[in-house]
Amino acid sequence: MAKLTFKRGARDSFFEALFTIAKNDRQVVIVSADCGAPSLDQFRTHLSNQYVSVGIAEQNMVAVAAGMALAGKIPYVYAIAPFATLRCYEMIKVDVCAMHLPITVLGVGAGLSYDIMGPTHHTTEDISIMRALPDMTIYTPSDSTMAAALADLTYKARRPQYVRFDREVFLSIYTETGDFTAGLAHLREGKNTCIVATGIMVHSALRVADMLKKSGIEMGVIDLYRAAPINQDLLAKTVAKYNTIITLEEHFLVGGIGDAVRSTMADAGVTKRLVHLGLPHKYLFEYGGRRNIHELTGLDDESLAKKMAKIAKEKVK
Amino acid sequence: MMTIPALKEKARWVRQQILEMALHAKSGHVTSSFSCTEILVALYHGGVLRVDPKNPDWPERDIFLMSKGQSGIGLYPILADLGFFPLDDLNNFAGKGSHISVHIGKDIPGSEIVSGSLGHGLGIACGWALADRMDFTNRLIVTLLGDAECYEGSVWEAAMFAGHHRLNNMVAIIDRNEMGVLDFTECSLKLNPLDEKFRAFGWDVKTIDGHSFEAIFSALHDVRSRRTEKPLMIIANTVKGKGVSFMENVRFWHYRVPEGDLIEAARKELAQG
Repeated sequence: MAKLTFKRGARDSFFEALFTIAKNDRQVVIVSADCGAPSLDQFRTHLSNQYVSVGIAEQNMVAVAAGMALAGKIPYVYAIAPFATLRCYEMIKVDVCAMHLPITVLGVGAGLSYDIMGPTHHTTEDISIMRALPDMTIYTPSDSTMAAALADLTYKARRPQYVRFDREVFLSIYTETGDFTAGLAHLREGKNTCIVATGIMVHSALRVADMLKKSGIEMGVIDLYRAAPINQDLLAKTVAKYNTIITLEEHFLVGGIGDAVRSTMADAGVTKRLVHLGLPHKYLFEYGGRRNIHELTGLDDESLAKKMAKIAKEKVK
Repeated sequence: MMTIPALKEKARWVRQQILEMALHAKSGHVTSSFSCTEILVALYHGGVLRVDPKNPDWPERDIFLMSKGQSGIGLYPILADLGFFPLDDLNNFAGKGSHISVHIGKDIPGSEIVSGSLGHGLGIACGWALADRMDFTNRLIVTLLGDAECYEGSVWEAAMFAGHHRLNNMVAIIDRNEMGVLDFTECSLKLNPLDEKFRAFGWDVKTIDGHSFEAIFSALHDVRSRRTEKPLMIIANTVKGKGVSFMENVRFWHYRVPEGDLIEAARKELAQG
């Protein structure tokens, strides 16, 4: 029989790094709502005493993790992103945030990454609701190197955290020496306009910036990989040189990173022209793949390049 | 160890405290706390739970999780009486600067969890019990649930988990007063047969009179040496509002505090015991 192979994405890099951590600290446990990953199999086979399946029962997943955390464990709960967040939101509020427990929620399927599976599996409002929780730290890794580093970062932080993984295998952005404590990275210097993106849209931003460079427009690109809490000082400092900020997310605009950037800049007293790009505020029963939905919603590279070129050329009052 | 008459007297005193605290704050779930008074007194004053009021975080303590967080008002007098915090704190129940309120908040000595939203405690107990087993920690994890709390689906997610993992270090007690907020459970949405449901989920189930100390102790006498691998469920049949006749089994009283002449009438009944 042919050997089955799989593509290793950010989630797999995270689990591989976490496996090494868990081998050395037997208090680290994974509580899964019947959600698998080939990279998770090593937990099930080699660290079976540190792996718990609750079945497809996300509320109990969080409650069980809370009990384990109260007993001294360092739990990571794992499910498909909409179910790991929306389905058990009140459990996360009360059992994780209100008690400030060291639980990390791992959600796979950020944005539209469960493409043809439809809106039940799309996760287009998780940043909004998780941002609303006091105490919650939110990460969206934009490549595998960052994801692996987040295993260590979340392990050491011992607080309520949420990591939202894409399902796609991304091109590498970062080198292995990267430090991800800052919460954002200024990946590309531009002139007047800068894109602030997260997750898959960081890759779109980089491609669009390349496209626009050919027409003489130099766009900056910031990877906002930590949507909460935003590093206010660094964001203010980084955007200081630009007059226009375009936020870009594969998420609803209500409460997403655009809103987060806007309120952070307002709090910092930074006044810039802000343009928010993201998904329309409706559930998209559109199929044919993620790229097709991007084309329908204007988030494909060509549409973005067109929009951003126009924005960059507009005079800022 | 306190005698049964002494425990009955303690239960009467606890109910008096519950009433006075609720009157002071003009708020509190009096009747659903009256229904579980004997259960709580038996657990704490009756010596079922191993706890140390002078060292609330004692690592070897038994764990008690008040899943029906609205009955915090019934737990606080017991914790204060045992010395977890000063009795004077009861006089400022839900007041400015108080650490005890209608639902169970943070940092209350002797209380393990934030509680008030239903359907959380049993799942937390499952995690705690499983973690204890992983770490070879030998103690009891005891949870008190309301019967109407069992409408929450999360209770059944946890029940299934506990049964599957044979968490026999877990004890759950259901305060079966047969009433929810607005109505009797069997009228609004049938819970029965509750015992058979938990048995089907893999639990050892005992049904008792939840106001009888003898029955409570009988159900718990071998709780540290049970020969079954099943978690233990005690369905404690109780009366909502127990102790004040005009509040007993009357739908009106879920979240009400006596007013006018009824205040003295309630005090009188509790004074007589």
